Amino acid sequence: MHRVGSAGNTSGSTRPRKEKRFTYVLNDADDKKHCAGINCLAYLKGSALSTNDYIFSGSRDGTLKRWELNNGDASFSATFESHVDWVNDAIIVGEKLVSCSSDTTLKVWNCFSDGACTRTLRQHSDYVICLAAAEKNSNIVASGGLGGEVFIWDLDAALAPVAKSADTKEDEVPNGNSGPTLTTLCNVNSSGNIASSNGQSHGYSPITAKGHKDSVYALAMNDAGTLLVSGGTEKVVRVWDPRTGSKNMKLRGHTDNIRALLLDSSGRYCLSGSSDSMIRLWDLGQQRCVHSYAVHTDSVWALASTPSFGHVYSGGRDQSVYLTDLSTRESVLLCTNEYPILQLSLQDDSIWVATTDSSVYGWPAEGHTPQKVFQKGGSFLAGNLSFSRARASLEGSAPVPVYKEPSFIIPGVPAIIQHEIMNNRRHVLTKDTAGSVKLWEITRGAVIEDFGKVSFEDKKKELFEMVSIPAWFTMDARLGCLSVHLDTPQCFSAEIYAVDLNVAGAQEDLKINLAQETLRGLLVHWCKRKQKLSSHSLPNGDSSTGKDGPSKDSPRSRSEVDDGTENHATHVLPSFEFSTASPPSIITEGTSGGPWRKRITDLDGTEGDLPWWCVDCVTHNRYPKENTKCGFYLHPAEGSPAPNITQGKLSAPRILRIHKVANYVVEKLILDKPLDGGSDGAFAMGLSSGQSQLSALDNSSRHGLKPWQKLKPCVEILCNNQVLSPEMSLATVKTYIWKKQDDLILHYRVVQSR
Amino acid sequence: MMAKPARSPTAETSPPAAAEKHRSASGSGSGLRSLASAASGWWDRWGVMGSGLSKLERAFGDQFPEGERYFGLENFGNTCYCNSVLQALYYCTPFREQLLEYYGKNRNVEDAEENLLTCLADLFSQISASKKKTGVIAPKRFIQMVRKLNEYFRGYMHQDAHEFLNFLLNEIVDILEKESSAKDSPETTSPEKVSNGAADNGVRKEAPITWVHKNFQGTLTNETRCLMCETITAKDEPFFDLSVDIEQNSSLTSCLKNFFSTETLNADDKFFCDKCCSLQEAEKRMKIKEVPQILVIHLKRFKYIEQLNRHKKLSYRVVYPLELKLSNNSDDADCEYSLFAVVVHLGSGPNQGHYVAKIKSHDHWLSFDDDNVEMIPESTLQTFYGSSREYSGNTDHGYILFYERISGKHGHEKTVSPDGGVQP
Repeated sequence: MHRVGSAGNTSGSTRPRKEKRFTYVLNDADDKKHCAGINCLAYLKGSALSTNDYIFSGSRDGTLKRWELNNGDASFSATFESHVDWVNDAIIVGEKLVSCSSDTTLKVWNCFSDGACTRTLRQHSDYVICLAAAEKNSNIVASGGLGGEVFIWDLDAALAPVAKSADTKEDEVPNGNSGPTLTTLCNVNSSGNIASSNGQSHGYSPITAKGHKDSVYALAMNDAGTLLVSGGTEKVVRVWDPRTGSKNMKLRGHTDNIRALLLDSSGRYCLSGSSDSMIRLWDLGQQRCVHSYAVHTDSVWALASTPSFGHVYSGGRDQSVYLTDLSTRESVLLCTNEYPILQLSLQDDSIWVATTDSSVYGWPAEGHTPQKVFQKGGSFLAGNLSFSRARASLEGSAPVPVYKEPSFIIPGVPAIIQHEIMNNRRHVLTKDTAGSVKLWEITRGAVIEDFGKVSFEDKKKELFEMVSIPAWFTMDARLGCLSVHLDTPQCFSAEIYAVDLNVAGAQEDLKINLAQETLRGLLVHWCKRKQKLSSHSLPNGDSSTGKDGPSKDSPRSRSEVDDGTENHATHVLPSFEFSTASPPSIITEGTSGGPWRKRITDLDGTEGDLPWWCVDCVTHNRYPKENTKCGFYLHPAEGSPAPNITQGKLSAPRILRIHKVANYVVEKLILDKPLDGGSDGAFAMGLSSGQSQLSALDNSSRHGLKPWQKLKPCVEILCNNQVLSPEMSLATVKTYIWKKQDDLILHYRVVQSR
Repeated sequence: MMAKPARSPTAETSPPAAAEKHRSASGSGSGLRSLASAASGWWDRWGVMGSGLSKLERAFGDQFPEGERYFGLENFGNTCYCNSVLQALYYCTPFREQLLEYYGKNRNVEDAEENLLTCLADLFSQISASKKKTGVIAPKRFIQMVRKLNEYFRGYMHQDAHEFLNFLLNEIVDILEKESSAKDSPETTSPEKVSNGAADNGVRKEAPITWVHKNFQGTLTNETRCLMCETITAKDEPFFDLSVDIEQNSSLTSCLKNFFSTETLNADDKFFCDKCCSLQEAEKRMKIKEVPQILVIHLKRFKYIEQLNRHKKLSYRVVYPLELKLSNNSDDADCEYSLFAVVVHLGSGPNQGHYVAKIKSHDHWLSFDDDNVEMIPESTLQTFYGSSREYSGNTDHGYILFYERISGKHGHEKTVSPDGGVQP
């Protein structure tokens, strides 16, 4: 018996890849809704710039959204899209919004912008989980994450060099980042153009708070920025001086991960919430725990205090928000939610609740006069032993919440939690948190059928199709929506007949490469705008084209584009037309720095760091011709009087249908005993090379069968003694009937009919 | 190669040169006969087979256990890994009794095909039914069967007693399950095998319970808690033995504590949480769900050293107790176990050396070294703990420990372990 290695670590996201991956993320809803759990909230009070209050939400869908609060109503006002993984925390520092993500970056945004990222800060090597800022020092931001990394950033210093060069785009070109991109960091200048530069190249590096052994899941800073506390799987609260990164003290008491921290404005008291279900109040002056509150029945994940630090609102895995008087230890259940609570934001008389649901909820909270809540009754005295509440609730004394209904809901769309790729490799069945089962056509990013709340497993069985198409993409649902990953060359392995997609006027044997057409659909806006740019012959337009490909390709590709392939690149078949109302986003790795994400409709043609193989495919119609062929043998069936018509192995497209094979046999049989001379001669030749066989096979029906159609014998094709349906493809026969890796063997026999 | 070193209980040294020669020449079966004859000259010299009372019988004096037999097992060249395990199983009384019972029921079955189980049953019954109280037996058919069935044990590479034990138990389970499914309902398909994750002791899930299971099988629960959503995913894993990592100057108890300790999956080894639909940090731990009747503990003394690109023997000193307490998580009660056999590896490296078994029978400790059986004082067991220094002359180390459950249905209040671990 040995310990089994890590389970489930198979998502493939860490495997080494030769070429950059191209991912697109599908959106079901419009821009105005989150489609995954809300990890964080940040509140911006009305100011001189804007009289309205705003709330910012950061989601597991990778985006942040700004909501304008107006007379009891929250309306959508912007999406901040650039992170490529969960947004884990966000804070407001002056007029800047700072967010952190599992993509290992921090991003800085202008609160009132239309959503363009100002700067990407790269220093972490693992997920960045939490942020803290000093209320009175709008420059200092601390970030904490997995692997025990804690950094303290001076935002002015981190942003300053870029701010200088932001208006002078030319400055950027010489430092090697000629292709203006969103890759590393972006700065919106007055004309709305996006300039970029590499964050590290400016030489700024944050202060490191060294010495954290385990992952950090919570941070807090005092108003003056002189004290930083961190907590995590180490189960201790660490206290730092953020100005130097030096350690002050360690506070022990919790018996599990510390998930939430608060400091009072002076920095004397600290509140911590832990997975051991306890809330603890620490006196940093005395370096000890002065109170522990057993309020929750499960892990405490979120804390929010009144400005005076007299009361604390807490939420967690038990989906409940409690209000606790820190001095009298009186506690009351404020409200219960349907999902575990991830973060709380207290603003005046409302408390905003972020949960694993994609909606944001606002509840009444009486933040200014919390004692009013206690007057409504139902309060209890918080115990000081872990699990005393858990026991109490088991004993049936579960309290009744003070508030039954939220006063605000900012609705999101349910997150996808389960997905299954259908055998045709174009359709994907999904199930979301609301239980709805939907069928997606991923080549155009649309839901083609909504089955409602049905059994996912049953629907999966019902939709089973006996077809075999190579796995040309992989996918995941960590963003609450489908992310489709394309890797070259395997993504180019799947073909489909144009007629099967009802392409108007397509010849019967016209084959379409699924990845190529999908890429065209995704990059059509990019192509169009790029063409416009190059026709205007921008001085630096060149740099955005062949930059990523091997440089020797550049001249040739140029000429090909000019040769009139433009039409080809911008012509998208209906089956690959992505919505512009809820456009998918693409995620790919930049040439320098890390991955970037952008909506396909926001691609302006200047993105020079798309993977070269995608550019090659859509603009030059060049892609690795993966082996889309299938080798097989064709023999007369046992006991069949039909003569042997082929020598050796044949080769044909994997998607070739059996009726084509039958046609081929018929033609061969007829031609071998020359009945008619109507054919174009290719068939009459004793073809031996697989290559020419294939073209003959593929084209067979194109060459008029008409003259002898009535005369032709009826032929059945068999595999493993099973008569094959004419609609089956060679690949399907190989997968479901032949069931072997070696070359397929088909038999034919003439049947007496008609 | 598990070449038998020139160590014999008597001072007399007799390097089995002849055997050595045959060994290198023969592939498998062909050399056996000559090997046997080479070895037979040996026992005569040792006088084990002589007339009158054997040395062992004299040692027992009038305390020779009623009905018990003590037989050495002839070495067919490198088969000490096999002999030591067979002896441990023979003196695992419930196993022996159930095997002999099975033998009694099945020996007259017509068209019974010879298999590993029948070979083992034959061997055990030969010993137990012997007129002589002591002696030497050649487990020839059994060894031939092992070599026939498993390529691994056919060659002359390093053969591991633990691997052999696993192979043997699983093979017997296979045979028993095949027989019972053939008997019960010919239509039921054989139960699915447990995935390779537990290949080291590849026990079956959902399989009919055989007497091998009843003796050796326990269940571990593998719990993984995602640190983001804190959802616990639990998976039960049956086991026939526990393979535990060892540390220098430690005890079996602390090694088991480590075995049951929490491990964090992080950095490049994150856990894919189905609830979060993403990779997250997670805590993983093992718990004992059901304790076995016979607890077999394999000390992982053969460690793969990446820099050396080979296995190295760890001679660490690991103290193992005669009485072991194991807490059972499902009912918070401790189970008491008593040590009854130790398979000892002798030698400095993984690719050479020798295996012997130290076995407790009727309150006497005996040493089984292939064909030689002798009584030893209990205190001798301490000499197989290992050495505190790396290059010590002592190369005899306890490798597989066999404990038998002596109590624990309704545990001992005083030793409830808070962490699912083990108490000394």
